[in-house]
Amino acid sequence: MVIRSIRWRLQLWLGFLLVGVLAGFGLMVHQLQGVTQRGQLEEDLERRVAALNLAVRGGAGPSPGGLRSMGGPAGEEAREGRRMPGPVVRGDGDRPRPMGPPPDGTGMSRSGPPKARIPEGAFEEAMAGGPPGGHAAVWSREGVLLRRTEAGPPDLPIPSRPGRSTQMHFRDRDGLLECYQFTELGDCVLAGRSLQPLKRAQRRLGWNLAGVGAAVLALGLGGGWWLSTRALRPVEEIRAAAERISGGALSERIATTEPDSEVGRLAGVLNATFDRLEAAFVRQRRFTDDAAHELRTPLAVLLVEAQSALSRDRSPEEYRETLHATLATAQQMRRLTDSLLQLARLDEGDGLASTLPVDVGEVAGALAEALRPLAVGKGLQLEVHTVAARVYGDAERLGQVVTNLVANAIQYTPSGGIVKVRTAASEDGCLLVVQDSGIGIAAEDLPHVFDRFFRADRARRRAEGHSGLGLAICRAIVEAHQGRISVESAPGVGSKFTVRLPAAKAA
Amino acid sequence: MRILLIEDEDRLRTTLAKALREEGYAVDVAAAGDDGLHKAEQNDYNVVLLDVMLPGRDGWTVLRELRKTKATPVLMLTALDAASDRVRGLDGGADDYLGKPFDLDELLARVRALIRRAAGTARPDIELGDVRVDTRARSVTRAGVPVVLTAREYSILEYLALHRREVVTRTELFEHLFDENDDSLSNLLDVHVFNIRKKLGHDLIVTRRGLGYCIER
Repeated sequence: MVIRSIRWRLQLWLGFLLVGVLAGFGLMVHQLQGVTQRGQLEEDLERRVAALNLAVRGGAGPSPGGLRSMGGPAGEEAREGRRMPGPVVRGDGDRPRPMGPPPDGTGMSRSGPPKARIPEGAFEEAMAGGPPGGHAAVWSREGVLLRRTEAGPPDLPIPSRPGRSTQMHFRDRDGLLECYQFTELGDCVLAGRSLQPLKRAQRRLGWNLAGVGAAVLALGLGGGWWLSTRALRPVEEIRAAAERISGGALSERIATTEPDSEVGRLAGVLNATFDRLEAAFVRQRRFTDDAAHELRTPLAVLLVEAQSALSRDRSPEEYRETLHATLATAQQMRRLTDSLLQLARLDEGDGLASTLPVDVGEVAGALAEALRPLAVGKGLQLEVHTVAARVYGDAERLGQVVTNLVANAIQYTPSGGIVKVRTAASEDGCLLVVQDSGIGIAAEDLPHVFDRFFRADRARRRAEGHSGLGLAICRAIVEAHQGRISVESAPGVGSKFTVRLPAAKAA
Repeated sequence: MRILLIEDEDRLRTTLAKALREEGYAVDVAAAGDDGLHKAEQNDYNVVLLDVMLPGRDGWTVLRELRKTKATPVLMLTALDAASDRVRGLDGGADDYLGKPFDLDELLARVRALIRRAAGTARPDIELGDVRVDTRARSVTRAGVPVVLTAREYSILEYLALHRREVVTRTELFEHLFDENDDSLSNLLDVHVFNIRKKLGHDLIVTRRGLGYCIER
């Protein structure tokens, strides 16, 4: 449920992203710091070893050239650092280095004549450089420990000499980092430091980074929550509005403050949809209201007629009259229900019994002629000009369109007028035109004549036995044939109904 | 009692008017909202039966317009009988509401109830001394014995009974008991009153000369 919420998913993704970025960044900083610290440590040790080396050789009298030849595998910076003590040490080397008695040292006392001489104080002096602490040792070329510091691990093995290398080497053991170097003569100097402070600093840095990272994560997630709340608020408003609308408040709309934003455009589209929905709903509602009215009114007539007739004794004449009235009412209801049923079927798309080739010209001609007596009886002139025009469709339904239109024309045209029925065929379809010189339709009614139960002059129409569905059925039938029906009319001049049907396609 | 029936469906209007007349009501009819409103404003009807879906002015508009000038009891007749429509009708000033199709007996009962209520009594029986008028059955008894009255006679008696202890002018009686198509001369009233007196006793209806009639019991 929570996972389905966009906001929570955003938070989750944001969380993942932040944790990833922060962890990567933190690890990198941690790592870099570690490397830098160790580099510094190594540099210190190298400097000390160089000083010790110089001190030892000061005793043996080697040329300082050996110092130059020291091209260790360490980086540029380390090499620079290594060279740095060179001149300094050389300066020291100019000082008189008397061969004094060796300082206290177990190794010193053990070996009889020490091969490597360490000038008095030179060891301490070498040790004084750089940060305090650490340990150092000097071995003779025979591997005898000449001197070592008090500090440092109890066991201090002499490093093995890789070949005849005189370069500086490092070794890691028991949490110690040691740098050693063999002189050309084979003496060995070593300086070392514990790695513990470094590790402690790294741990502390790690905790600090984690703390900062957690704070940034919390801040980021909080900001993300605020942002997503802000971004999703319009969506939430749309949801609430849509809910109210679906709950029945059809005239409600989504309020849009920023119509050009993404959400505003969405709201605009939704509002347009709701407009159409509401219009359709209102139309449907009006139709059902009308249908209810049209069906219930004759039912009321039937009930009142029958109950009134039965309320007291009547003469046979009165009974007959009542029966006639109820019969006429029942027939009106039958026509209405037939029309409604037909409309419902056309709406569902199965109102056409068949789709066969139909000659509209032939159908229109025959049906118009069938209505000629009606026209003549009313004193009208009926002109029929039809040509063969083939379409695919339901001949009976198309005939119904012709009959409805022609009967309408005859009905609304006063005596002496003229009704013209005409068909034409073209490449893209066929045309059926029914034109009269009748009373016409008022301009404001014109857009509604095809509406169901359209109520222009309703009282009169119903008196003439019209349900108000004839033209609606015509339109439904024509549209079921993918055609169009239209009307032009001027009051007092006449009306012209035009039906366009698409041509029969080769099956 | 005079009733105005505003209904656009010809057959229903005719049949209903006939049924109401047979019940002894004077019935005026209108087929459209404008005509109906005009008649309702011009005359004092006891009840107006108003269809909602009318050509021209619809029933709601007629009701709203009528309520500006008159408090005539209005019974709305309509095929729209959703609860919201009933509420709209009653809130709009209608006194009662009946959905189509309706039962004729129910319609007549509601018309009687509206007339009674307008006269200030909810009881269907009116007792005038030993004379008892049953407005449900439209029958009259005197000391427990049924008395047969013609529809006109009953209407006059009922109207006077509903306005007992009031002086009812001849004009008022004439307006409420005869519809617009009645050609009866006003002196026919005297004949009907004479017949009622003959059947129910001479002192039931008192003539106030120059004013009208009155039931003083």
